[in-house]
Amino acid sequence: MTETPLTKEAWVAAALERFEQPLLRYAARITRDVELARDVVQDTFLRLCAAERAEVDAHLGAWLYTVCRNRAFDVRKKEARMTPMPENAAEARPSGTPAPGDVAERHEANAMVLAVLDTLPENQQEAFRLKFNDELTYREIGRVMDISLGTVSNLVTTALMTIRERLRAEMNLAEEV
Amino acid sequence: MTHNIDNEKLVAYVLGELDEAQLNAIEKRLETDKELQDAVAELRATAALAKHALQQAASPVASLSSDQRAAIEVQAKENSDKTDAERPLTLLGLPGGTATNRSFVPRWPVGFLVAAALILIAIAGLFAAGPTLLRSSMMQSSTMSHDHGTTPRAHAPVADLQSGGISAPAAASQTYYRDVNGEADELSNNYFVAGERAKERKVSAFQVERLESLGYLGEGVRLDAATRPGWVGDPNKNFWPGHNTEAYDRIFENPFLDVVQNPLSTFSIDVDTASYANVRRFLTQNTLPPPDAVRIEELVNYFSYDYSPPDGDDPFSAHVEVAGCPWTPEHRLARIGLKGWEMAEDERPASNLVFLLDVSGSMQPPNKLPLLKEAMRLLVEQLGEGDRIAMAVYAGAAGLVLPSTPCDNREAILDALGRLEAGGSTNGGQGIRLAYDLAVENFVKGGVNRVVLATDGDFNVGTTNQGELIRLIEKKAKSGVFLTVLGFGMGNLKDSTLEQLADKGNGNYAYIDTLNEARKVLVEELGGTLVTIAKDVKIQVEFNPAQVRAYRLIGYENRILAAEDFNDDTKDAGEIGAGHTVTALYEVVPAGQDVDLPKVDPLKYQKPVDMAQAAASGELLTLKLRYKQPDGDTSKLLAFPVSDTGAGYAQATADFKFAASVAGFGMLLRDSEHKGAATFDAILELAEEGLGEDRYGYRAEFIELVRKARALGAAE
Repeated sequence: MTETPLTKEAWVAAALERFEQPLLRYAARITRDVELARDVVQDTFLRLCAAERAEVDAHLGAWLYTVCRNRAFDVRKKEARMTPMPENAAEARPSGTPAPGDVAERHEANAMVLAVLDTLPENQQEAFRLKFNDELTYREIGRVMDISLGTVSNLVTTALMTIRERLRAEMNLAEEV
Repeated sequence: MTHNIDNEKLVAYVLGELDEAQLNAIEKRLETDKELQDAVAELRATAALAKHALQQAASPVASLSSDQRAAIEVQAKENSDKTDAERPLTLLGLPGGTATNRSFVPRWPVGFLVAAALILIAIAGLFAAGPTLLRSSMMQSSTMSHDHGTTPRAHAPVADLQSGGISAPAAASQTYYRDVNGEADELSNNYFVAGERAKERKVSAFQVERLESLGYLGEGVRLDAATRPGWVGDPNKNFWPGHNTEAYDRIFENPFLDVVQNPLSTFSIDVDTASYANVRRFLTQNTLPPPDAVRIEELVNYFSYDYSPPDGDDPFSAHVEVAGCPWTPEHRLARIGLKGWEMAEDERPASNLVFLLDVSGSMQPPNKLPLLKEAMRLLVEQLGEGDRIAMAVYAGAAGLVLPSTPCDNREAILDALGRLEAGGSTNGGQGIRLAYDLAVENFVKGGVNRVVLATDGDFNVGTTNQGELIRLIEKKAKSGVFLTVLGFGMGNLKDSTLEQLADKGNGNYAYIDTLNEARKVLVEELGGTLVTIAKDVKIQVEFNPAQVRAYRLIGYENRILAAEDFNDDTKDAGEIGAGHTVTALYEVVPAGQDVDLPKVDPLKYQKPVDMAQAAASGELLTLKLRYKQPDGDTSKLLAFPVSDTGAGYAQATADFKFAASVAGFGMLLRDSEHKGAATFDAILELAEEGLGEDRYGYRAEFIELVRKARALGAAE
């Protein structure tokens, strides 16, 4: 055919444009440190440069999330060994997560969702965010988190149900008041 | 545990994660179960809220530093694969998007959009910074328009940028801002807004409700952009030399069969022509087609033959001609020809057509979606007042582009066509359901009710299991809606899937490789393509052992039926359209001749069958046909005895010679063990003798193809 594909540079640049922010947020949630997250994401893209493009292209998103996640957990482990996590991790959190004090200032329902989410186990949170924030499919999430499809479904459902219950309770409360 | 398995299923349903079977089950329950409907509505609202909350909260994180970026750039350069050449900007595939895309394609966070708008504004500044920077910015804009469906005018900035214009990005950014604003509302209730949009496009409230209840307007939450090949501007991935994902089913050629052991030959008719167009595409590109891409019956049936139309009550006539077999002179060739009654354009009953168009990323190349749009335009021009067209698309999610619209409103139809753009992965299953539902809703009694599916058949999302897709189609076909499958493109054409879909869906399958082919299928043969005059047409031939030693049906390998299926009205078979001709060829070994057949031991308990009196009649065979009226359930039987006049092939009619030459050509391309003395030269000679009137020049084109194949064959 007369049309020829993108250069590798342009391909990587395009992936960077698209995934830099979502991956940074994702990594920061795991490492709880923006600087570490930046290193992780840089690393992820360096690996993308070395990857066989034909193998990655069909599932670029899932590939990047997977590499980023593994890298982020490696870093977190290493950091934990070297310096114990500070008690108040909220300061190091990416701005996306509400610290308890922020809640009142936010839109009620939104705040409630985020607050409930914060109380959930880490794996539920992660699956839930990958689904609703990063818009991955169950299959992709399973791949990224290295868990079965059934587990993904269970995690997402449990999280959503918890949020639903909380919403119901809030609404009942509002009616009573 | 606060939930049970039902909750998981419902959540998966709301998130579009169910497979076809489970989806069916839930939707069935939803139709009657009010409680379940409420539960789904609540979950949708919760999901929408959760998504909104998360995406609102996702404020930008400090980006990579310039050092970090530079390191990546250097690394990318070092690893640059040498095969990847520079790609011109115009090929980045900047889709304009459509209102439909906007409603049905998953969305990205607001923050990201704002960033995109800023980047677009920044392009003006970056313009002087050199081609690399510009390209990456362009990539961004292409990505964004993909995902958000800006107006078609998104094309304009590109053109201007290329010519060095500066003002365009500002215009583009306005577009994005509008989108950003719209986005904010939408995120809060994606589900509801999709419904509103549908209403704006004059879908009846009932339809909206129905679509909603079926989940078509739900959130297609999926990371489309990341997985779609179109996103990195790379729709041609499949075009790289050596990389080809076309799928053809293996064809095992029909063998010669002993008449005593197999007195009956039974098969379903096939009016598909796709294989011929596909073979032509290969040859035109100077390659011999893979043998399994050559279905001889589809080659033969690509051409219409001058059989006289029926004069009685039956919808078609049958004609048998027997003459010498050109490639094995001691054998006979029997040609069975059926001709459906012809219908004048003004007699065509009112049509209710639903176009189901594949707009997934793989449809981006010019020989796919753009050609499809041209082809559809041709079709729309043929349709008139009494006809209605609806249009649905499918990619990552399926959606309605055009509700059923009378064809005199050509403008609305053409406008909807014009707005289609490719992007996304392919959820064929969901699209097929939507299309059939639309067709059933607008059913015209006694008219043409048909889904026209246009795709490259690469169904890679949703129901991808071919068996399930086929069962879905089979089920839907029972609604009385017929199916036309138009295959497009190359590189990943899933020929076998498409043929089977058409086969099971009471339909026909044509491969559209050029505008001319579109004209043939959708203009010249429109009646045949749209109007089915008889369905489940089966042919059974009983050979007379007094005259015939053995026989071989040429082609129709995947249409063979068991002898008992002939009388079984529940067994599906092929359809014949108005004016269609169907041709089948048997190579016959006359009685008394030796033929190399697989040997079976003589039976111990049975004597060879005695010949009945009729065997002495001198008849060669009896042709039996069964068909049903298009809306009928019981078949009618026709039978015609046939005798051999002993004509040599020199005395055969032009049509006979031409059909024989096409079959011979197919055998050569398949390198058939039965090709006998056939050579490209001999085929050419035969085809030229059989040229006939050739009103549209198709036969002349065939002769060109034989020449081409001869040259290619000689080169090998």
